[in-house]
Order: sequence, then structure tokens, then C-alpha cells
Amino acid sequence: MTISEYFSLIFSDYTLRTITLGTAVLGAVTGMLGSFAVLRKQSLLGDAISHAALPGIALAFLITGAKDSNMLLLGALVSGLIGTFWIRGIIKKTHLKSDTALGLILSLFFGFGMLLLTFIQKQPNANQAGLDKYLFGQAATLVESDVWLMTIVTAICLFVLLLFWKEFKMLLFDADYTKTLGFNTKLIDVLITSFIVLAIVLGLQTVGVVLMSAMLLAPAAAARQWTNSLSVMVFLAALFGAFSGVFGTAISASQNNLSTGPVIVIVAGVFVLISFVFSPSRGLLFKQIRFIKNRRDLELHKTLAFMFHIAETHDNISHPHAIKILNNFQGYTKNTLQKLVDKNYVTIVGDHWSLTEQGFKTASNLYNQQNENNE
Amino acid sequence: MSNAQIEIQLIASLVAIACAIPGTFLVLRKMAMISDAISHSILPGIVIGFFITQDLNSPLLILLAALTGIITVVLVEYIQKTGLVKEDTAIGLVFPILFSIGVILIAKNANDVHLDVDAVLLGELAFAPFDRLMISGVDVGPKSLWIIGSILVITIGLLIAFFKELKVSTFDAGLAASLGFSPAILHYGLMTVSSVTTVGAFDAVGAILVVALMIAPAATAYLLTTNLKRMLVYSVCFGIFSAISGYWLAHWLDASIAGSITTMLGLLFLTVYLFAPNKGIIAVLYREKQQRTEVLLITFLLHLKNHNDERERHVNHLNEHINWQKVRSKTILDLALKNNMISIGNKIVSLTEKGDEFTTQAIDYIITNEDAQIEHMKDDFFLFRG
Repeated sequence: MTISEYFSLIFSDYTLRTITLGTAVLGAVTGMLGSFAVLRKQSLLGDAISHAALPGIALAFLITGAKDSNMLLLGALVSGLIGTFWIRGIIKKTHLKSDTALGLILSLFFGFGMLLLTFIQKQPNANQAGLDKYLFGQAATLVESDVWLMTIVTAICLFVLLLFWKEFKMLLFDADYTKTLGFNTKLIDVLITSFIVLAIVLGLQTVGVVLMSAMLLAPAAAARQWTNSLSVMVFLAALFGAFSGVFGTAISASQNNLSTGPVIVIVAGVFVLISFVFSPSRGLLFKQIRFIKNRRDLELHKTLAFMFHIAETHDNISHPHAIKILNNFQGYTKNTLQKLVDKNYVTIVGDHWSLTEQGFKTASNLYNQQNENNE
Repeated sequence: MSNAQIEIQLIASLVAIACAIPGTFLVLRKMAMISDAISHSILPGIVIGFFITQDLNSPLLILLAALTGIITVVLVEYIQKTGLVKEDTAIGLVFPILFSIGVILIAKNANDVHLDVDAVLLGELAFAPFDRLMISGVDVGPKSLWIIGSILVITIGLLIAFFKELKVSTFDAGLAASLGFSPAILHYGLMTVSSVTTVGAFDAVGAILVVALMIAPAATAYLLTTNLKRMLVYSVCFGIFSAISGYWLAHWLDASIAGSITTMLGLLFLTVYLFAPNKGIIAVLYREKQQRTEVLLITFLLHLKNHNDERERHVNHLNEHINWQKVRSKTILDLALKNNMISIGNKIVSLTEKGDEFTTQAIDYIITNEDAQIEHMKDDFFLFRG
């Protein structure tokens, strides 16, 4: 199947439509909530939570004995929340740092989950196959009810987000101030963390435990580069997330042997790369261009100031001087000289230059300004 | 115990030691999550190395994969330096993308590669003894035993050679730099050792559980001691203990060995987290409660000192004035009585001579803004603590 075939099939084929919708909604909700995780400097929390959810899935299966995806997700949610609050407990009550706490909970929970999974595999229960799809996710197993569940959760998240927008925003940027205003910061904090856990758990079936954190971070990190406004960032992140979902699904459907999760992550990574390089205000490309431009301006000024000092010693400011004497000066290039001519600061006759009236004025003001700035 | 069982336990213990040593420094340098990133992002290195060497145990593959680990660290640092995102976001972006590339490489070449993503993530210790190293036809033991053994020897050698430098640069990077130890060399040296260890250990215990073996013993040891040498020894012991007990747990449950080792590490950490003498949760909570009571006691004594009038020291009046709950006031009063700070007669509470001396000194410290000194006074005056 080629990509164009994919887009023509997307409206008619049930499976493709469900998967595409599912990944798009998932991308949107994770991007939305991921913005908060990135801004709160909790980026790696997502990684820890998604790993910590694994034993919950296994335990839910062991207890219920059935592979009802809602029950499994509930188990994942509970175990993810336990992991999150244990991480907080470790950071708050002991001198272990946050990175240690994250790595610890991540690996210990995951290891325990693996123990349970391998234990389940030895059990005489025909139902057990397919639990390991939660490791890497399998978008193909999405059914319509899963998509509905995601949509409902997204709607609830969006509603609560809009309802408490002011509080979330304030807590994000100035937690102490929020507290002094009398808001219950603990409640807001728990609310937003629980939402992040919820979004991660929803994505486990599609993207899997290992790659879920990238779904959370990448759209938000990309969106961050384009704006300084929270609302625009959340919106952009949701958009990027949804697009990575759709493109990722399209690419993986059009090739053999490509699982959806990794492809979505790579597409999201491409979004990040493009944003890092091409964003107008923060991007590396424009930053470099601005840097070069500033340096040129500075060189221009330096050359002009140097010329001014030479011209100053003469009664006639437009007395011609040889271009050669500029050669010792570092700021001098053919280009800067040409630019000065273009700006009508300098005239060139043969291999001699002379300052114009305007050039002399600008240069002396330049000098004064610098003096004033220094004072 | 059969021969294979002994070999498995030996490999597990060696992996645990090899991981615990760099792990200790990672935890102390607040770089624990870097080890998680490395353990994921070596996947493409392993896959490409496997294409070239066709042998999962070749040293070239280990070096190639370790190189990917270093690339991860460099990439994370580069992204962080651009200032576009914070360090944790940079880590969180780099490793899933590299890991995805690895997964896709495996999936696209599934037919030619005898490599399974599950195996990379989880490893299978149980099969390790079957892959033997033959030297001129003589069986000298399992290959992974030799690999992890040589990595361990190198690690220990480096540790002994550079212990002083590592110690200084871990606790005071500025001092280390001014003494002439290059922080960059030590940093990348540690990263290289961690990467090589991760690669060497991955096919025994799997990529994610390497992280557990690196972080968990060190974190557990850190709760028990603040001495670097002791911390190293403790984490090595914890590693070995959980490796061996984990093996027997797996034997008993018939489950994954790596998973059981991690579970044992988790239980060990949980126990220490709860019961560590000074830094465990129970000790911390107890200390917080004790401090709360003592602060209340001092408040109460100061209140008495301030209100000399007998009317104001009447129990009813005090009750109304301070307005504590019944249980709390009883605790405080009992404690004050036990410490011989107050005497109660005729429902009037008065400071004893000792109580008076205590409060005078405490007030002195408070007005000269040396509140911290009160802590030492407590040792002198209190027979019973809160």
C-alpha cells in the first residue's frame, strides 16, 4: 500500500479509520498535557510513569483473569499513580535526588512487571497471550470503543483544563504566588499530575511502555519553540501530536514490518528537529543568521570609527586616504567598505577613500553614543 | 546445584558488581536518568554492530554499541546547550528516538537478524550458560561470563587508579578543575564505562534492568551511609545479594530471572527506605514528630516565662490562651514535668529553676538571632525527648 492509497482508504476502511483517529486523538491529548509536563520540568516523569504502569497491567490480569482492556488500563492507572506518589515521597522525605527517584521507580516497577508477565505466561490460561503488546504497543489492536474512551478522556481533560486554566497557568509559572493567593496548590498539582498519568496510560496500548514518554515530550518541545504563550503552545502541541499520529500511522501502514509506535515517535522527532532549526525566534538557523548579522554590523561600526579617528586629524574631513592603511585593521573587509559606500558614508576614488559629511556625522555620533552608554 | 545454576548466579553477581560501581557515581552526580537513556539508545548501535559482526558477543559490537551510548550523552548535552529545552526534556527526546530507530532497523531486517527487541529489553540469563567460549577446542566457560568478567576487571582497575579524581570531581567539580583534573575527561570516562557496562550486561539482564542494577543498589546504599567507600561496598553487597536471591526467586516462581532480581532490589530498597536508621521514612517521620513536640514545648515554656502573673499561669487561663487540643497539651505538660521544667501546684503552672534557666538562655539566643544554638541546649537540658 502506498501513502496515497492509504489516504484514499482512510475513509472507507474501518480498521485504518479507527487506528488513524485513535493515534490522532492520542497525539492531541498527550501533546496538550505534555506541554505542562515540559514546562514543569517533569519531562522524565512520563517515562517513569509509563514503565511503572506495567505491573498494574499484569496484576489486573492476574486478579480478573480476563483481558478486558478497560480493566487493564485501570490497573495501569493505579500502578502509575502509586509510582508517581512514591517518587514524590522519595524526593520529599529523603536526600535522594529526583533523577535517582525517577530511575529507581522506573526500573524497579518495570522489573516487577516483567516478573509478573513471565509468571503469567507460565500459567495455564489461554487468555494470557498478547499482554506483551503493552511493551511496544500495537495500534492495530485499537477498536472503536478504545477510540471513544480516548475521545471522552480528551474531552474531560479539555473541559477541566479550560475550567481551571487560570489556576494551572499560575501554578506553572509562580507556585509560591499561587499559594499566597489562597489557591489549594496541592489539589491543582495532584489534578494535573493525575491527568498526565491518565494520558500516558491511554497511550500504552498504542505506543507502548517504552516509547510513551516521547509522545508526551516531543510535541510539547516542538510547540515551545514557536511561541511564548501558554495557550498557543498547548494548542500547537495538540496539533503536532495529532499530525505525528496521523503521519506515523500513514507511513507504518504503507510499509511492511513497521510497527506504528516507533514510526510515530520518529515523526514527532522530525517535528522537533524542524522546530529546533527553523523556528523564527528561537530556532538555531535564525539565531545563527542574527548572530552573523550582528557581527557584521559591529564590524561596520568598527571600520567607520577607525576611519573617523584618521579623518579627525585632518582639517578637511574628506581628505582622501589610501585603502591600504585599513589593511591592518581587523574589522576591515572589502564588503564592509562597499557597504559603507552604499550607505553614502564613504566615497572611493581609485584606491583612496574619504569620509563624506554624513559619514563623519554618523561616526562622531556613534562615538558619542558609546561614550554615553559607558557612563 | 547444577553447574549451569552456579554459572548463572556467578554471571548475575558479576553483572551486579560491574553495574553497582559506575551506578554509585551516577547517583551521586545526579545523572541516574542518563543511564536509562544510554540503556535504551544503545539499541541501534547493537543492531548495526550485529549487521557488521554477525555475533552478539563480539567485542567490536560492544564497542560500537558503547559508542552509541556516548553519542547519546553528547547529543543530550548539545541540545541542552542550545538552551531550547531543559536537560530532562533533552534526555526524554533523544533516547526514544534512537530506540525507535533501533526497533525499526530490527523490524525491517527481521529475516536476516536473529535479534529480538524483547530479548534486548529483557535479556535471558537462563540461556547464558549454553553459549560457551571455546579456545582451541577447550571449553573454558560461558561467553558472557568472560565478557562481563573482563569489563568488571577494567572497571575495578579504573576505579582504583582514578578513585581520588572521581571522588573530588563528584563532590566538588570546581575544586577538581582547579586542581588540574579535567572534568570533561572524567565525565566522558564515566560515561564510557557506563555504556560499556550497559552493553556488556544487556544480553544477560536486558537494557532496562541494567538501569535497576545501576541505580537501585547505589540509592539503597546512599540511604545508609554518607561515606563514599562504604557506599561502594554496600551497593556491591546489595547487588550480589539481590542477584543470588533473585535467581532463587525466579527458580521458585519459574519466571524471568532478570525480573526477579529487580524485584529483590525493589524489596531491598523498600525495606531500607522504610527502616533506615537516620534517613528512612519511619525515622524521618518520627524525628519530625519529635521536633514538632519540642518546638511546642519551647513555645509553652517561653509563654510561661513571659507571663509571670499567677492569674495568667492558671491552667484554665492557659488553656484558653494557647488553645491546644487536649491530647497535645497533655503530651507537652507531661514532657515538661518529666524534664523537671515546670511544677504544677493548685492548678497554677510555674517554671522550676531549671526551666527558668532554660528559657532565659533560649530567649538570649532568640534575640541575638542564633536560634540554631537552641538545638544544642536541648541536649543539655532535656532528659527525655519529645
